[in-house]
Amino acid sequence: MRVLAIAHNTFRESVRDKVLYVLLLFAALSIFGAKALGWISVGQDIKIVKDISLASISLFGVLVAIFVGTSLVYKEMDKRTLYTIISQPLHRYEFVLGKYVGLAAVLALVTAVMTLSSACYVLVLGGSLEAVYFLAAFLIFMKLLLVTAFALLLSSLSSPILGAIIVFCLYLFGHATGVFKDLPPQFEGTFAKQMLEVAYYVIPNLSNFDLRSEAANGVAVNPLFVVWVLIYGVSYSAVFLLLAAAAFQEKDL
Amino acid sequence: MNAIETSQLTKIYSGLGKKATRSLDHLSLSVQEGEIFGFLGRNGAGKTTTIKLLCSLLKPTSGEAFLFGQNARTRESRRLLGYLPEQPYFYEFLTPRETLDFYGKLRGLGSSERTRQWERLSELLDLKDIAHQRIKSFSKGMRQRIGFAVALVGDPPLLILDEPMSGLDPVGRRTIRELILRCRDEKKTIFFSSHVLADVELICDRVGILVRGQLTQCGRVDTLLGGHVDQVELVVRGIRAETQATLREQAEQHRILEDVEVFVLGSRAAANDAIRLVQSGGGEVVELHPIKARLEDYFMREQARHEEVPRGDVA
Ligand SMILES: Nc1ncnc2c1ncn2[C@@H]1O[C@H](COP(=O)(O)OP(=O)(O)OP(=O)(O)O)[C@@H](O)[C@H]1O
Ligand SMILES: [Mg+2]
Repeated sequence: MRVLAIAHNTFRESVRDKVLYVLLLFAALSIFGAKALGWISVGQDIKIVKDISLASISLFGVLVAIFVGTSLVYKEMDKRTLYTIISQPLHRYEFVLGKYVGLAAVLALVTAVMTLSSACYVLVLGGSLEAVYFLAAFLIFMKLLLVTAFALLLSSLSSPILGAIIVFCLYLFGHATGVFKDLPPQFEGTFAKQMLEVAYYVIPNLSNFDLRSEAANGVAVNPLFVVWVLIYGVSYSAVFLLLAAAAFQEKDL
Repeated sequence: MNAIETSQLTKIYSGLGKKATRSLDHLSLSVQEGEIFGFLGRNGAGKTTTIKLLCSLLKPTSGEAFLFGQNARTRESRRLLGYLPEQPYFYEFLTPRETLDFYGKLRGLGSSERTRQWERLSELLDLKDIAHQRIKSFSKGMRQRIGFAVALVGDPPLLILDEPMSGLDPVGRRTIRELILRCRDEKKTIFFSSHVLADVELICDRVGILVRGQLTQCGRVDTLLGGHVDQVELVVRGIRAETQATLREQAEQHRILEDVEVFVLGSRAAANDAIRLVQSGGGEVVELHPIKARLEDYFMREQARHEEVPRGDVA
């Protein structure tokens, strides 16, 4: 109830914010404009429309997650709207959780709108849609949930700009964790190698959530893999959320 | 049971690269249920720090605070508390109606209760006309009224108000004063900070004076002023010359204003004697004013006395 009240407000705030619509507009332009700009040649149309659509959903979702997420708690501390909220009979973690759920709902809306409109576009172009397309969009959403949890953690620790930079780094490294593992031979036995191996195991591997080529080619995915990715995403998000709540618990406001 | 009880409450702000300051120094204070307590101090004395500790926005460095016997760091204690921050900030994208609804939900009120609450508080604070405008466009006075309404959500028995009258015009100040008195009539306890002495003097049962994080005085307004003899101003008409001569001997001051004469007498007893004398001498008492020692004078003296001692910096 209290968590939902906070979540509802967070959702309302984002939905009443113009930035969201500007981002959505850019996403729409990149999906619908790809053809108009002649990036796509006849014959490969549908595959590439699907691919570009999923890439835009991922990119714009991550932009929302980073820019809204890293200021979620910080903004409330900065603007002191927290004073009258934290002095209410609620646990501090309920506040953190409410903020998270609210932004998650915004992201769900954003991904749903983009997925459905791109799906309609594919149908209008005469293409066929497989379940894997929607599955791919859903896994992108799971990835956004993970990135949001990390952004929220940083939001209770640092300023939005620093936070956004760090989350963006996590996002980049998360898509390229392989480089930490497959190092050139000269790293063998060095301290740097050990550190990078730790990074490999700590930084979430975000390419796990990427089903773009399967979706573009309409290839089915093993359900067990999907379940595993879900567990993977939820665990990482939960850990980040717990850390965020712990960081916020003892904070002087 | 005391509504507020603090024991040795201390707050030292420290942070990376910042010099640690002891903003509140072993504050032990109790506020009884049902009273209006004024918390006085100059800018930076530590009033807001104290209030934030009571509302569990800050963690004390040492010491404890209790609200109705519950440790102020528990959630249960916050159920009993309504808080108006120094400059209340609310979500700018919400309307007053939505704002009160939101706080009602945080307090676990059901939907019909929240509607009733809105009816009551919008009436009390005159919010009906602005119910559906976004707070973004509101003036200080309107925001303060919303802040007061938010503090009253859930009908808590204790109100903690941080400078509730600052930044308001005389009408606004009076509104807030009346609200505070009204809440007292509803048996609420009110703890508020201020540096405007006139406001405190008018409505408080007791005051505490904070100087550089230390409580230097605490007590009833009249006992704090007790050492200073009240004077009484007596305005009379039509007294005989010998009565006038006797009164002039007893009075500390004497003035003649057109058809009346004004005597300032040093005590209540002296004033009583003088009244009898006027009446037996065929004169008429036109007016009688007690001249109280002003809290402001007292405050300035206290302040000066303690300012000489340097602030306890943390080594
Ligand atoms: N977050 C903080 N970090 C460091 N020092 C602080 C912090 N907040 C307050 N202080 C210091 O604590 C002291 C007391 O501040 P506080 O805000 O409690 O005073 P106040 O009595 O409310 O003053 P005012 O009348 O101006 O509101 C001041 O010296 C202030 O500089
Ligand atoms: Mg203050």
